[in-house]
Amino acid sequence: MKVSMDCVGCGQCAAYCPYDAIMVFGRAVMNDKCIECGTCIDYCPISAISGD
Amino acid sequence: MKASIIGSGLGGLLTAAKLSKAGFEVDVFERLPFIGGRFANLPYKGFQLSTGALHMIPHGSRGPLAQMLSEVGANVKIIDSKPMAMIRKENDEIIDFGDFRNELPITKKVKLGTILAYSLKFKPESNISFRDWTLKYFDDDFLLRLADSFCGWALSLRAKDVPAREVLETIGNMYRYKGSGVPVGGCGAVTGALADIIRSNGGRLHTRSHVDRIIIEKEKAVGVSVNGKEKYADLVISNSGHAQTCKLYDCKDKDYLEKIKAVRPSKGIKICVSADEPLIGHSGVYFTPYTERINGINEVTHSDPNLAPAGKHLVMSHQAVISDDIRREIDLGLSDLKRMFPHKKYEILLVQSYSNGWPVNRAASGKDIGNRTPVSDLYIVGDGAKGKGGIEVEGVSLGVRNVVREIGIA
Repeated sequence: MKVSMDCVGCGQCAAYCPYDAIMVFGRAVMNDKCIECGTCIDYCPISAISGD
Repeated sequence: MKASIIGSGLGGLLTAAKLSKAGFEVDVFERLPFIGGRFANLPYKGFQLSTGALHMIPHGSRGPLAQMLSEVGANVKIIDSKPMAMIRKENDEIIDFGDFRNELPITKKVKLGTILAYSLKFKPESNISFRDWTLKYFDDDFLLRLADSFCGWALSLRAKDVPAREVLETIGNMYRYKGSGVPVGGCGAVTGALADIIRSNGGRLHTRSHVDRIIIEKEKAVGVSVNGKEKYADLVISNSGHAQTCKLYDCKDKDYLEKIKAVRPSKGIKICVSADEPLIGHSGVYFTPYTERINGINEVTHSDPNLAPAGKHLVMSHQAVISDDIRREIDLGLSDLKRMFPHKKYEILLVQSYSNGWPVNRAASGKDIGNRTPVSDLYIVGDGAKGKGGIEVEGVSLGVRNVVREIGIA
């Protein structure tokens, strides 16, 4: 997943990630548990996450 | 009469509840898969964290939000916090917020009483900041720190960045309504109860529904385009602030666009903590004027233990963001916690930061430009258009009150 500079670090993606694959500390970063399911894209309030 | 509401945050839902109760056919369009905006629960590791607000209603069961919830028939139990607030002093001693004047030498104490009483009645007309206003009368480190702690907690701003008259309105509201309180079930119980009311009034809530345009005809809002489909309505209410909303139509009013440019969002950091034993021991506000960054903390599980797994406490700290280096700001907040609770067993669950496009408040207190737009039948609600002196969701409620009055249904 690609996180754009718009990410503010609200943590919504981390809470909704089914694989516990997102760490948030000022902004979101995916770890190696990420399987690119795309759930986070839907839950980002400012469309800062994309699939490519 | 039909109303389209853009965004299902607290402002959008309160307006929808009011309008649907008054007989409007209401549609609420939410881009995300869930409702509530920054006033929703965020389930995480068995805790009910929140998308934004700290599971707290600033003026509790007697404030503007509570009053509006009761008017629309939303079933929410708000437990008023006792004590309302405590202050952690420089020597780590804890005192009741109501007794802070006792910390001052007698002459300053008397002066503060007089000046506060006068200024609450006759608020400064100028744009003097709360810090400068405080300094004008008192050269006192404790008072200046308390001013920052209070403004940071309540408004996510430093005392130097907020007009004194706005803070004095807030203090006036504290005397008027008292506070604070915790809604049983957290923020999500409030927005959930509003959603139930809207549905029972015949209104509809649509998630995953992105409004891409507001339809304007002859300077009048006549509907919205949702996921590319046009939906006509007599009234359009936007819960996404002036700046975001004006991008949804071709706004030509230069004065209005200039005003929007001056609106600044407020930034904050919330640290969510799981504790095996209470860190502060009550559900009121714990003001921390002697930290590097954290302005205040709450521990809502004393009012609603179900917000955490059995035997745990949910503790949340809040701090205004001072510099552009968010990671450093967070580190300073984490160090504050370490210093304040050196022997307590706790674990950091999630650090949430809010700024720019997803801020604490879309319009920092004192920068609000009201609920109207240059287009008729298009209004703004939410934290981008709060009422005077309204802390967070109380301000959102006062803003909604202004709008429904203007529409003529309150």
